Amino acid sequence: MATTCTLNLSSDMLSSPINITASTTLTKAALTSDLDLIEMGRGTIAEGDGSKTAEFGLPTALGADKAAKLFFVNKATDPTYYIDIDLHDTNVGRLYAGDWMFIPYGMNDTASEFVIEAEPAGATCPYEFALFQEPQTLVAHS
Amino acid sequence: MATTASIAITSDITDSINFGINEQMTMTQADLTSDLEETTGLAQRTFSGSLTQVVLLDVSTFGAITAGGAVAHKVYIRNTGTDKTKGFKVFLADAADDVEEIGTLFGQDWMLMPWLATDASEDIMVKPSSTEKMTIEYAVFHQ
Repeated sequence: MATTCTLNLSSDMLSSPINITASTTLTKAALTSDLDLIEMGRGTIAEGDGSKTAEFGLPTALGADKAAKLFFVNKATDPTYYIDIDLHDTNVGRLYAGDWMFIPYGMNDTASEFVIEAEPAGATCPYEFALFQEPQTLVAHS
Repeated sequence: MATTASIAITSDITDSINFGINEQMTMTQADLTSDLEETTGLAQRTFSGSLTQVVLLDVSTFGAITAGGAVAHKVYIRNTGTDKTKGFKVFLADAADDVEEIGTLFGQDWMLMPWLATDASEDIMVKPSSTEKMTIEYAVFHQ
């Protein structure tokens, strides 16, 4: 049940071009066994919505020191539309139309939620995501 | 001077659903269609004998702070080791000089993310999980 993730990056900014190929198989924290939980989907956020906590991967203490990975892409086509990305109250950066990101996601506690906001005024940004995680701990039925 | 990045994810996590994700982006400047024009190049840093959290990317080295955060920097980081039991925790400081953990890069894991880098305290920091020799490679593509 393997999940592999490959990056191909090339840049001709320098006289000697940069070419990076990186590939990883997503495994549980400090283990060689594969991640085995996925959550993926699509949504839309508009500037008028304000700052929103993403509906996926809501962090809990159970996520501490796990090996989750998050892929997120801004599917807007207007180059001026961007999604502002925060982790809790820390601003990570902006994903402009067509930009994607792939990060390890600590999901350590409730203070590491993934927060998104569409900008500028009038912007509407469709987005897609995939979150790969370790299994959640089942809790007793009460 | 184009910089492009593509990602391909394949997974058979479930028995009944196999899927793939393929996306490509050309890294452009904020609000523009012109390309990013500066880079650190591909750099490498090796850690040995210490578990100390250190600054990997100091925001003050990336030129003038842009008011309002109108930047589209991208950061690439990879744990070049092959040991899946050892990792680098990656952190981002916030404006109050607090620290937010992003996550852990285990052996061969990589990340590519936007970086606001508009506040003097928004450094990117890493912390190795082992005192054994561990190496990280990184690059910043910026305005």
